[in-house]
Amino acid sequence: MRNIFFVVLIATAGAPAAAQPARPPAAAGGGSSELAAGKRVFDAQCAWCHGNDGDGGIGPNLHGKLTHATDLKSIVEIVTGGLPGGDMPSFRSPLTEQNIRRVAAYVQSLSRSPRRPAPGNVQHGQAVYDANGCASCHTVDGRGGILGPPLSNVGAQRGAPYLREALLKPEAAHPSGYLVVRAVTGSGEVRGIRISEDVFWVTIRDARGLHTLQKSAVTALERQPDASLMPSYATRIAAGDLDDLIAYLSTLRSAK
Amino acid sequence: MITAMKKTLLAFALVAPLAAQAPVPGAGAPTIDDGSWPMYSGSYGSERFSPLTQIATSNVSKLHPAWVYQPPGTGSLESTPVVVNGVMYVTAGPTIVAALDLKSGRPLWEWTRPIPASVLNLGFPRVNRGVAVLDNTVFVGTLDGYLFALDARAGIERWSVHVGDNKFGHSITAAPLIIRGTGAGNDDDKVIVGISGGEAGIRGFLDAYDAKTGKLAWRFWTVPSPGEAGSETWSADSWVHGGGATWLTGSYDPALNLIYWGTGNPGPDWNGDSRAGDNLYTSSLVAIEATTGKAKWHFQFTPHDVHDWDANQIPVLVDAEINGRMRQLVVQANRNAFFYVLDRKTGEYLLGAPYSKQTWAKGLDEKGRPVLIPGMEPSEKGTTVYPSLQGSTNWASPSYSPRTGLLYVPVREMGSIYFKTATEYKPGTYYTGGSEKALGEEATGAIRAIDVKTGKRVWDFPLPSPMWAGVLSTAGGLVFSGSQEGNFYALDAMTGKPLWNFQTGGPIRSGPMSFAVDGKQHVAVCGGHALFVFAVE
Repeated sequence: MRNIFFVVLIATAGAPAAAQPARPPAAAGGGSSELAAGKRVFDAQCAWCHGNDGDGGIGPNLHGKLTHATDLKSIVEIVTGGLPGGDMPSFRSPLTEQNIRRVAAYVQSLSRSPRRPAPGNVQHGQAVYDANGCASCHTVDGRGGILGPPLSNVGAQRGAPYLREALLKPEAAHPSGYLVVRAVTGSGEVRGIRISEDVFWVTIRDARGLHTLQKSAVTALERQPDASLMPSYATRIAAGDLDDLIAYLSTLRSAK
Repeated sequence: MITAMKKTLLAFALVAPLAAQAPVPGAGAPTIDDGSWPMYSGSYGSERFSPLTQIATSNVSKLHPAWVYQPPGTGSLESTPVVVNGVMYVTAGPTIVAALDLKSGRPLWEWTRPIPASVLNLGFPRVNRGVAVLDNTVFVGTLDGYLFALDARAGIERWSVHVGDNKFGHSITAAPLIIRGTGAGNDDDKVIVGISGGEAGIRGFLDAYDAKTGKLAWRFWTVPSPGEAGSETWSADSWVHGGGATWLTGSYDPALNLIYWGTGNPGPDWNGDSRAGDNLYTSSLVAIEATTGKAKWHFQFTPHDVHDWDANQIPVLVDAEINGRMRQLVVQANRNAFFYVLDRKTGEYLLGAPYSKQTWAKGLDEKGRPVLIPGMEPSEKGTTVYPSLQGSTNWASPSYSPRTGLLYVPVREMGSIYFKTATEYKPGTYYTGGSEKALGEEATGAIRAIDVKTGKRVWDFPLPSPMWAGVLSTAGGLVFSGSQEGNFYALDAMTGKPLWNFQTGGPIRSGPMSFAVDGKQHVAVCGGHALFVFAVE
């Protein structure tokens, strides 16, 4: 009867790492064994989105100042109830109160350590972004194309490991809402992002725009959950430039 | 089947004035044959088959909206309307009942149970799926765990009983089932009501109340206590919070005087370590004597379930020839991806076959028990299994047409990554021991037509996402259902070919039904926050 979907987490945004004093992780009101227990819960339930050691992935990096939580109590509340309107699910069902307290203490310890900035030259990264035509499909601060996901807040939403994967293997990292479909009709073929589909109609966006097709006129409609419209940049961008681009993307934090 | 319906009609005509001389249980209950839709699943057999023929394959393309009703509040509609004595009774979440005029669609009365935000709904939405009606009383269960009897004429409360304590997670979302008794003056008519709370560590039960007074007639515990038959299938004191909720409406065979009710998952859902054994009677179908509340037989689909595969799906009563012999059957497309055919007198397993993608069982043995594939239990790091915890089908009702011999099943083709976590019982909180990550992007749905005699697929109508809508079949040769994307549509019952559709603008998570007013057939379905009623212009 339950309906839990793990989804993308939009929980934190760190302040610039340099502003954070380096401190060893320490749990509030718990010993190191409690912290170890919290890490075990984190590894099983949270690392899926937040990455190993909380370095971020499909969900944000948890090192440095947290956006939505200021103390242990508020971390407990977010883990327990999720972030309504965001992508962080509630863990009220799978975790006991004790394990929620443990994992919250572990997250708090992560937030007290400095966020490791993605290595690279931010300014040059922006130049790489511009030179590679990223803006033809992505928006930053309201400017750019809409075929791909907006990036104005991507530095707060995603960790660097996810951004790297998205650039090298886009098909392994495409976000929800960007399912690629291919429709064949009597007059040709449309391959693009599925904007809407019901039993009788499908609307697809490609570089040319929107196509609303009646399914009775579609001879084949294929979902490509393992595909992305974005090409891999593994061979298009030099390795050093890639680091710079990731460093630039990591600074994009528009959300209030 | 047609013969059986005529018999029921005849019995009704005879019994109404001569109730004392007609000791046939269930006789005299409201009938579907007069254009009514007297109960949640249409009839005691839960076929969801309308005998009306005006709307047919030849004219369904002319179906148009007749009226729309929007209940007060912002609750979702997951209700199947009931039509009795020329009035429609429909419910909305969290617990609202409306009596509607069939011609104008205007409310005759609306009754609201105040539900504070603090009322728990652990493991299900804040909805209500329908009422039961007997004579001039409407029965409705409430999200906070009460059963109310309302005057059908004005919605005035007659009596109420406290069925389960909400602070422990008890709740009612299912439509009750009325049982017309055998006593003089209908003084042993009963209301059967199931309970939700299988994710909160309740001990499940099914209750029967006296329809006139609300006095408890019997309670059947779905989890036996120590010393009772089946108690050996629970280790230590795990039975105390053993689950086995009864959260969807069952079926009834008046001639056998047996109630057929599906039971939910054992608790905790995904971590079975504390409850070694088969965990009877969870994830089972139980046949219960309506008079005494005693189980006559049981069949467990998923012994020691660790995937939350409740067996609450509607059991459908079918008479059909199996291996050359006419049999009284109960069939169920189970959440665990297998379709089952049982003898409804004895519970004997006759047939079982997968009807949807599954990766947890090699098959069923000669008794219908699953032969497990090792390593498919939830784990700390996650285990990918088909179907998802929502199952290959869920609470959305199937439909059986005696004209085609096909069971039309709303199907969910989806897998999950199942996680297992530590858990501890604490009253009024989740007691699940895990979670899932749904594999949503590949997921699809279908209306699947299954031949009940063989379990084989006859046709498939594909849908873009897993089903939450129920199915209606009609003597007009049609199958009606909906989609998560708001489509309401009619298919040819023989072939699955789409013949008509209408976009309602909200997800359809309810079962369609059909009724007649002034001799004119209508079809109704709840979609999003509204009820839509259609007729041929």
